[in-house]
Amino acid sequence: MKQHWRKILFIFVITLACFFIGRLDSVCYNQPVGQVTSVKTIASDDSTDEHENQDRSYTQKLTVKLLNRSGQVVTINNDYYASQAESDQYHVFDQILLKKSSSGYQIDMPKRDSLLFALLGFLFSGLYFSMSRRKFSFLGLSIVVNAGLFILTIIWDASARALPVLPVFAVLAMLLSGLALYFVLGHGLQAWITWLATVIATLLALLAMAIVIALTGATGVHFETMSYVTQVPQPVFYAQAVIGVLGAVMDESGDIVAGLFGLQRESADRIFSDYWQAGLSVGREILGTLTNVLFMIFIAETIPMVVLMLRNGNNWSYILDQTMNLGILQTVVSALGIVWAVPVTAFLTATLLTRKETAK
Amino acid sequence: MNAIFVLILLLLISLLFVGGKQGALTFLGLFLNCILIFLLITLVNWGFTAMVVLPIMSVLILSVAIYLSAGRQKVLAITWKTSVLVLLLIMVLACLAQHLGHLQGYTLENSDELEGLSLAVGIDFSNLAIIVMVISALGAIAEAAMAVTADLFEVVERTPEISLDNLKKQGTTIGSQILGTAMNTLFFGMLGANIPLLVWFFRLHYSAAEFMNGKLLIFEVVTMLLGMIGIMCSIKVAIFFVEHAFHKEGRGILNESDL
Repeated sequence: MKQHWRKILFIFVITLACFFIGRLDSVCYNQPVGQVTSVKTIASDDSTDEHENQDRSYTQKLTVKLLNRSGQVVTINNDYYASQAESDQYHVFDQILLKKSSSGYQIDMPKRDSLLFALLGFLFSGLYFSMSRRKFSFLGLSIVVNAGLFILTIIWDASARALPVLPVFAVLAMLLSGLALYFVLGHGLQAWITWLATVIATLLALLAMAIVIALTGATGVHFETMSYVTQVPQPVFYAQAVIGVLGAVMDESGDIVAGLFGLQRESADRIFSDYWQAGLSVGREILGTLTNVLFMIFIAETIPMVVLMLRNGNNWSYILDQTMNLGILQTVVSALGIVWAVPVTAFLTATLLTRKETAK
Repeated sequence: MNAIFVLILLLLISLLFVGGKQGALTFLGLFLNCILIFLLITLVNWGFTAMVVLPIMSVLILSVAIYLSAGRQKVLAITWKTSVLVLLLIMVLACLAQHLGHLQGYTLENSDELEGLSLAVGIDFSNLAIIVMVISALGAIAEAAMAVTADLFEVVERTPEISLDNLKKQGTTIGSQILGTAMNTLFFGMLGANIPLLVWFFRLHYSAAEFMNGKLLIFEVVTMLLGMIGIMCSIKVAIFFVEHAFHKEGRGILNESDL
C-alpha cells in the first residue's frame, strides 16, 4: 500500500513539473506572452438576441505583465459574454499570447501548452507504472512513430496541389496499423493474422459504405457539412473513416486472435470449428462496448453545435442533417467494421491455425 | 432511399447474424444511449445546471453500456463500480482542464459554420466543453474496465490453483496488453477525425505556437488524453477490485449464475 502512495505522489509531482515547464516556457515564444496580474470588470450589460436568449456581456480591464518582453506591464480591455461561445473570461494568473498592433497589445489566444504538458506528463508517468518497461517503451515508440508518419502525410497532402487523398490515406492506414501491431505484438504469425483481418474487415466496411452511397446516390448524406475542408470533402471523409474504423477493428481483431492463440497454447490439437466458435464468442463479448466507444466519441463532439443551433431556433431534423449526419454515418460504418471483423478474424485465424497443424 | 438508413439496417442485420441475442442487445444499447444523449442535450438546452445533469446522464449511459453486455453478474458489477469511480476522476480533470485551458466555444476557423447564428445564447459554453470531454471518455472507460475484469475472471476460472500473487502478475500482463490496444483505438480515432483540421493548419502555415495553443486542436488532443487517462485508471481500479474480491472470497467469486 505504501508503495502505491509513493507512485501516486510521483505521478503527481511529474504532472506538476510538466505544468510548470509550460508556465515558464514563454522565452521560447517569438510573440509576446503575458500573465494577467489583475482583473477589473468595468462594464456589463444585458443582451437579448433575436431568439429571446438572455445573455450578459462584460468588459474587463486586464493588467498584463509581459513575460518575454523584460517585464513590461500593459492594460488590455477584454469583452466577453457570460456564455463565452466566442470570447473568454480571464482570471488572475492566466497566461495569454498577445499580438502587437498599432494601438498597443491585443489578445491573440490563451496559452494552453501548460495544460497539454501536464496531461501528457500525467498519462506517461501513469503508463510507466502500469506496464512493464519493455511494453511501455514499445507503446510510446509506436505512438510517436505513427504520429510522425501521420503528420508527414498531412504535410504532403497540404503542400501538394492534387493528391489522391483516399489511396494515400488508405496506404498510410495499413502502414500505421502494421506498425502499431508490430510494436504491440512483435514479429510473428499473431501480428500478421491480426493485421490481415483488420485490413480485410475495414475494407469490407468501407466498400459497403461506398456501394450503398453509390446505389442511393448519397441521399441523406451531407458531405458539404464537413468542417474545415480545404479540398473535395467526399474523399477526405473516406480517408477519415479508414483511419477511424481501422483503430477500432484492430482492437477487436487483436483480442480475438490473442484469445485463439491462447487456446492453441493450451492444447494444439483442435479442429476448425473449435477455433471458429471460440472466436465468435470472444468477438460477441467485446462488440457492444467497442461500438459504444466510437459512438460516444463521434456524438460528444457535436453537442455544443447542437445546443447552439437549438438555441437559434432550428428544429431537430435540420440540426441532425447539419451537425450529426456525418458523425452518425461514421459510427455506423465503424460499427459495421467491428461486427464483420468478428467472423473475418475467427475464420482467418481458425483456417491458418488448423492448416499449420496439418502441414506438420 | 436514405443511405444512412440503409447502412443502419445493414448493421442491424449483421449484428443479429453475428451476435444473435447479444447482437440485438448491442443494438438496443446504442439506441438507448442515443436517446440518453438527446435527453442530455435537451435538458441542458432547457437551462438545467449542466454540472448536475452531466453526472446523472453519464452514470445512466454507463449503466446501459455495461448491463446490456453479456457476462457474469459479478464482472458487470465490478465494471460498473470501476467505471463510476473513474468517471468522477475524469469529471474533476475535465473541469480542471477547462478552467486552465479555456477550451470552450468557437474560433475564427469556425466562421463559415457560424454564419447567421447568434452566439450570445445564454448557455455557458465552458460547461458544454466539459460535457464533450466527459462523454467522449465514457465508452473507453467502460470498455477497458470490462475487458480487464472479464479476462481476470477467465484466468481464475481456468486456473484452479491460482494464488493471489499469481493473479496480481496476470493482472499486470493482461492490463498492459489491453492498455496498448485501447490506446491505439483512441489515437487512431483522434488522428482520423482531425485530417481536415490539420491540413487546414498546414495549408495556412500556422506557427508552432498556434499548433501548441490553438483551441480547436488542443481541445481534440486534451479530449483524447483524458480518454487515455480514463482507460489507464479504469484498468488499475478494475484490477484492484478483482484482487480485493478474490482476496475476500477466493474462487468463490465465480459462484454465481450467468446473467
